[in-house]
Amino acid sequence: MDLSLNDTQQLIQDSARDFVRGACNRDVLLKLDRNPAALMDGLWQQTSQLGWTGMAIPEAYDGTGNSMTDVAVLFEELGTGPVPGPLFSSAVLCARILLEAASENMKSAWLPRIASGERVFALALTEAQYGWSPESIHFEASPRGDDFLLTGTKTFVHDALYASDLLVVARVQGGSGVSLFRVDAKAPGVEIRTLEGFLTALCEVTFQEVRVSGKDAIGGAWPALDRAVLGVLPVLCAYKVGGCRQVFDMSVNYARERTQFGQPIGRFQRVQDHIIHIVNYLDAARWTTYEALWKIDAGADAAASVHVAKSVTSESYLRACDFAHEVHAGIGVMREYGLTLHTKMSRSLYHCLGAPKMHRRRLERALNLVPA
Amino acid sequence: MNFAIEDSPEQSGFRAEVREFLAHDVPKNLEHSIDPCDMSYEQYQLRRELGRRLGARGWLYPSMPREYGGGDLSAEMVAILHDEMSRIGLGLPPYYDGGGRMAAPTILVWGTPEHKKRFLPPICRGEVRTWQLLSEPGAGSDLAGIKTTAIRDGDVYVVNGQKMFVGSSHGADYSWTIVVTDPRGERHKNLSWLMIPMNLPGITVTPIDLLATGGEGGSGSGVKNAIFFDNVRVPAEHLVGGENNGWKVATTHLEVEHGGMGRLADRRVIYDFMEMCRERRDGYAIADDPDARAELVELYIEAEITRLFAMRNHWLAHTGQPRSYEGAQYSLRRKLSGLDISEKMLRIAGPCVLTKDKRWGPLKGAIEYFQRDAITALHPGATTDIQRVVMARRIGIGGREKEKAGTLR
Repeated sequence: MDLSLNDTQQLIQDSARDFVRGACNRDVLLKLDRNPAALMDGLWQQTSQLGWTGMAIPEAYDGTGNSMTDVAVLFEELGTGPVPGPLFSSAVLCARILLEAASENMKSAWLPRIASGERVFALALTEAQYGWSPESIHFEASPRGDDFLLTGTKTFVHDALYASDLLVVARVQGGSGVSLFRVDAKAPGVEIRTLEGFLTALCEVTFQEVRVSGKDAIGGAWPALDRAVLGVLPVLCAYKVGGCRQVFDMSVNYARERTQFGQPIGRFQRVQDHIIHIVNYLDAARWTTYEALWKIDAGADAAASVHVAKSVTSESYLRACDFAHEVHAGIGVMREYGLTLHTKMSRSLYHCLGAPKMHRRRLERALNLVPA
Repeated sequence: MNFAIEDSPEQSGFRAEVREFLAHDVPKNLEHSIDPCDMSYEQYQLRRELGRRLGARGWLYPSMPREYGGGDLSAEMVAILHDEMSRIGLGLPPYYDGGGRMAAPTILVWGTPEHKKRFLPPICRGEVRTWQLLSEPGAGSDLAGIKTTAIRDGDVYVVNGQKMFVGSSHGADYSWTIVVTDPRGERHKNLSWLMIPMNLPGITVTPIDLLATGGEGGSGSGVKNAIFFDNVRVPAEHLVGGENNGWKVATTHLEVEHGGMGRLADRRVIYDFMEMCRERRDGYAIADDPDARAELVELYIEAEITRLFAMRNHWLAHTGQPRSYEGAQYSLRRKLSGLDISEKMLRIAGPCVLTKDKRWGPLKGAIEYFQRDAITALHPGATTDIQRVVMARRIGIGGREKEKAGTLR
């Protein structure tokens, strides 16, 4: 039993903290919020120079093969920003999907370039009938000799605006099961549109007769895709833990500094209750996440823990932000204050890789509650 | 990070040793009463016997120093002991010893060498049973407002007053008691702690009929009492931590009582309830209903978070980590999630959860007891509101200064 970070993890935490405070301070994050694509002009290169794009990739493919807990420690710090960007989508999620699903040729072709930060992958899975289960996949690829033609729409795709490559989840006409296609994001017929509004880096991606080589196709990919998603999900959870932590710190500081009725508002028990809700959400998110990470790193069956962690963190981050807004009132909704970056992120990530409702349904199975 | 209780051959060996000990040394005729109030005197004595056998090995108070009868065991070993006891349906200690559980760590911090030598070994070896007396008719949440006095008279303190919602069935050897030693003194500077031998003349114990006993006692405290002190003469050397220094001493006591050490003994009844919902009888299982399944998953998530908070606190306390609001946070969570889970059980399984009827009451009445206990457990060891107050102070928003957690060792 040891719930502390090891030396490596403390170093990761320190360098990530410096990065968030320095290169990703609030002014930078507010600018990126207005112009997300600017992230690729400098900041992205810094993250790969720091070695972060290779952390979740094995040494055999030029990564550093860190544990999932190591990677999560990084993402918890990035979540405090919240620092946007495709680091999770590309270097954690898509890298893992390739590791689990792709041929050796594909792995050695793409993983080293993801590890170096040269290529940026995003997962194009969800569609108009939104969902993260195989039943939600209707997008079709039609065979053309050894190649395939892709036509259709993926939507609410995370981080596609940054992507050089897309992993598209589709069904092959006339076939069964779900396949994966690596598609060059700049290929003719691919159009990526960032959705405007109360959301961060969610995109619509349309495909108009996009030709994909058979060498870039992976058949029968769902089981591997699902394994990959479950294997990295707690890293995304850790990002939300970081978000909760920052929202807690902001609320505590504000409650100490803001005076009304001649005293700091933190002296009012109504205000204290909001902050207690936030810290309870923070710690529930933290410990469910890190236990799931430990199980993954120990090679244990982590499915139930992962479903719990995703359910808890999605809701915790959202509600922590809500309570922070109760504490902050008007100041909290001034965009320049920075709280709304979290509020928006908590909404944007709520459904990512499956909403709490879906993970609870899957938890029913993991706990053997569903009749055979 | 490592969430495994046991991850070395040494620890696995220890688990095997504990299991073998329990297989041989748990009295064969030991029974488990669902409601601790139903425990007979004979059954209580069997548990005391087991306590002495555990105590002989330093396993009754395994994290206390060996020189005082503890086991000096690591966080993991202590967790293994709790785990193995819980596996056979027992807490550690296997009987209500609330006073020992909270007095022992407090005396360790605040007692003189003489106090430690005198009071700790009998507690740790299971030779005595100790109650803790804090609440009074006029002082529940406002502990500093107690009225029971202990006035120095030569080499004794003369105690007069009434304590409320305290103790257990079948008596105690000592009561670890907070009293007013300076009735004219300033608030918070007028209190002291006395280890009162319960065989002194002038003590009357009167049982109170409560809905249940409340889970905070761990092993289930049995009947709660009103205790009256009428000119009880307590030897002056039984005052621990300095006269009128009791509020400071209370910080350690309350740190333990507010959940600062965590409690690893899981609430088996929750998992048994889930198993009951999976069971198929006459072709029907409660979990066949999708709504019931959805609620069962919520119940499980609640229990998981509580378990993790307990584990975190256990680890923090047993490895000497800095602590802040975590004790009260765990207590708050334990109380509120218990209540929430009891409501979910009622919704999932229907009115059968309200009966201990042999034919209709599930799990031999354990669920019916849980329904009562979850409500009763809201108050012992400080109400949910007080836990929130403590959290706010520790986070540093409630008071003018950030409050420190109570000292443990």
